[in-house]
Amino acid sequence: MTGTGVAAQGTREAAMSLAPDRNRMLMAVRVTVVALLIAICVATPGFFSLPNILSLLTTVSFMGCVAVGMTLITISGNIMSFSLGATAGAAAMVFIVAVNFGGVGVGLVAALAVAGLVSAAQGFAVGWVRANPIIVSIATLALIYGVAEIFTKHSSVYFRPGTGIEILRGKLGGLPLEFVVLLCVTAAGQFILSLTRFGRNLHMIGSSFRAAEAAGVKTWRTVTGAYLWAGLFAGLAGIMLAIRYDGANMDYGVGYDYDAIAAVLVGGTLIKGGQGSVLRTLAGAMIIAIVQAMLLLRGFRQEWQYLFTGLIVLAVIMLHTSGERR
Amino acid sequence: MKTSIRNDPHFRPLVILAACVVLLGAADWGQGRFLSAATPFSTLQTFANIGLVALGLGLTMMIREFDLSVVGMFGLAGCVAVMTGAVHPWFGIVLAMAIGLAAGVVQGLIIVRFALGSVGVTLGGLLTFVGVAYVLTESRSVPFENIRVALLVNEPIVGLFSLRSGISLAIFAAVALLFGFTRLGRDVIAIGSDRRAAMITGVNVDAFVVGIFAFSGFCAATSGALLSYSLASASPAGLSDVLVPAAAAAILGGVSLGGGSGRPLGIATGALILAVLRSGLNAVEAPPFVNDIAMGAILLTVAILDGPYLVRRLGWIASRVRPSS
Repeated sequence: MTGTGVAAQGTREAAMSLAPDRNRMLMAVRVTVVALLIAICVATPGFFSLPNILSLLTTVSFMGCVAVGMTLITISGNIMSFSLGATAGAAAMVFIVAVNFGGVGVGLVAALAVAGLVSAAQGFAVGWVRANPIIVSIATLALIYGVAEIFTKHSSVYFRPGTGIEILRGKLGGLPLEFVVLLCVTAAGQFILSLTRFGRNLHMIGSSFRAAEAAGVKTWRTVTGAYLWAGLFAGLAGIMLAIRYDGANMDYGVGYDYDAIAAVLVGGTLIKGGQGSVLRTLAGAMIIAIVQAMLLLRGFRQEWQYLFTGLIVLAVIMLHTSGERR
Repeated sequence: MKTSIRNDPHFRPLVILAACVVLLGAADWGQGRFLSAATPFSTLQTFANIGLVALGLGLTMMIREFDLSVVGMFGLAGCVAVMTGAVHPWFGIVLAMAIGLAAGVVQGLIIVRFALGSVGVTLGGLLTFVGVAYVLTESRSVPFENIRVALLVNEPIVGLFSLRSGISLAIFAAVALLFGFTRLGRDVIAIGSDRRAAMITGVNVDAFVVGIFAFSGFCAATSGALLSYSLASASPAGLSDVLVPAAAAAILGGVSLGGGSGRPLGIATGALILAVLRSGLNAVEAPPFVNDIAMGAILLTVAILDGPYLVRRLGWIASRVRPSS
C-alpha cells in the first residue's frame, strides 16, 4: 500500500516546479475557508452561547484524543488503524470494572494498560514483520469485539455508587475537564513528534522506510512506540467517555476511528505518511466539530452531519494531495 | 512445508477451507449438526452476504489500491433499494446498482485525475455514502413492504442455492472466466505488480483503475441491495460490519495487499472459508463471539505470515538461538 504511487515520477517533477505557486494557493484557500467558517459561526444565532461552546469542546475531546493517536500512526506511514475506536470502547469498560474493583487509580492504570498493550501488540506485528497495518487493525477489531463479547454478553457496565467518580466530571478554569485532557494530549503528542528522537525517527520512517532502515533506525521499535502512544490516547478517550456517560458498552467506541482519521486528514496530515502534526489534527477535529455544531444549530437534522463530514474530507483530500502523490 | 504453503497463494485457501471443515466436523462429531443437508444452503447464504463485497474489494487490492467505501455503498444501496423498490423490485435493485457503479466511477476518476491515494478518497466516499444513507432514511430503519420479494430472494432452489447466492456465484463465475480467458486478468496482475512497467507495456492503467473501482461499487451495491431485500428492511447503520469479513475473505483467498497476486476464484474460496466457519459455528451452537475471534485470529495469522520481514526475523532469531544452545 505504501508504494501505491511509484508510478509517474514525471508528474512529481512538474509539481515541484509549481510548488511555490501551489503553496500560496493552498494558503489562500485555507485562510478563506477558516474566515468563511468564522463568518458563518458569527451569523449563526446561539453559536457563541456558553452551553453550545461547552458541549462542542466536550464532544471534540473524545474524537480529538483518538485523532492525536491516529496522527502518530498516519505519520509513521501506516495509514490508519480501524481498531482505535474499539480500543476506546474496551478501555471504557475496563475502566469501570477496575474502578468498581479498586478505585480510580486502579481504573486508570488498568484501562491505559489494556489499551496500550492491545495497540502496541499491533504495532509490533506491523513493525517487526511488517505485516499490513490495515489488515492487522481489522483483525484486531474482530478480536476485540469477540473477546469483549465473552465478558460482557452485549450488556453495559456501570459505576457502583460511591466511587467518587463524579469529581472527574467537573470543569477546570471554566473549561470542561475533557478538553483540558485533550489539550494536554495534544501538547504531549506535539512534544513527542517535534522534540524527541522518537518523533524524528517516526517522520523518517513515514517518508521513506528504506532510508530510515539504512540510517540505522530500529524501525520496529519506533512503529511499536507509535502504536503504543496511539493506544494510550485512545484509552484516555475511552476513560473520558465512561466518566461522561456514567457507564460503558462496546458501542461507545463505534465510529471514533473514522472520525479520527477524518480529523487527521482535514488537518492536512498526509495519508502517505512522513508529514503532519498533532496541532493540525487538533485544528481538523475542531473544524469538523464546529461544522457539526453549526449544522445542528441551523436546524439540520443530525444525519446531515455525517454527510458534511464526508464531503469535507473529500474536498480536503482533493485540495491537499493533488499533484503531491505519484 | 511451511514455506511451500506460504509461497503458493492458490493452494493456501483450499488448505484453510479443508482445515475448517475438518475442525468443525470434529467439533460436531456424531451429532450431525454440521454435516447436515442444511449447512451447505446456509453456508451459501452467508457467502452471498460477503462474497461480492470481497470480490470488489479484492480486485482493488490486486491493483494495489484499497476501496474503503464498499462498506458505505453496501449500506446506502440497501437503503436505496428498499425505499424505491417496494412496487417494482427490479427498479429498486437496478437503481442501487447504477448508483454503485456511478459512485465507483466518480471515485476512480478522482483517484486517476488528481493522482490521489485511494484510501483517502474512498474514506471520503465512505463517509459521504453513509451520510447520504442517513439523510435518505432520516436515521431510521426502513421496512421493505414487498414481503413476497423478500421471501423469493431467499427461497431455496434445488435445496442448495437461493436467488441471492445464485446471483453472487454467477458474478463470480463471470469474473473468473474473464480473468482466465482474456488479457484482463494478466493486465490486472501486471498493474498490481509494477504499475509503471504495466503502463510502459501499453496497459491503459487509468481505465483499469476507474473500471475496477466502478466494479467494486457495483458489487457492494448489488449485495447490499439483495441483503436488504432478503432482510425486508434496511438501516443506514445496520450493515456496517461487512468490512472485516470482506477484507478477511480477500486476504484469505490469496490477495496480497502489496498488489499483484490473487484470483477471483481465490477470493471466492476465501469468502467460502468464512461462510463455512460462520454457518458451521452456528450449526454446532457455538456462542457468537467464537466467530469473531476465529475470524480475527485467522486474519492476524495470515497478515503475520504475509509480512515481508517474517523470514528475515525468523532467521535472526535462529542465529541468536544457535550459538547459545
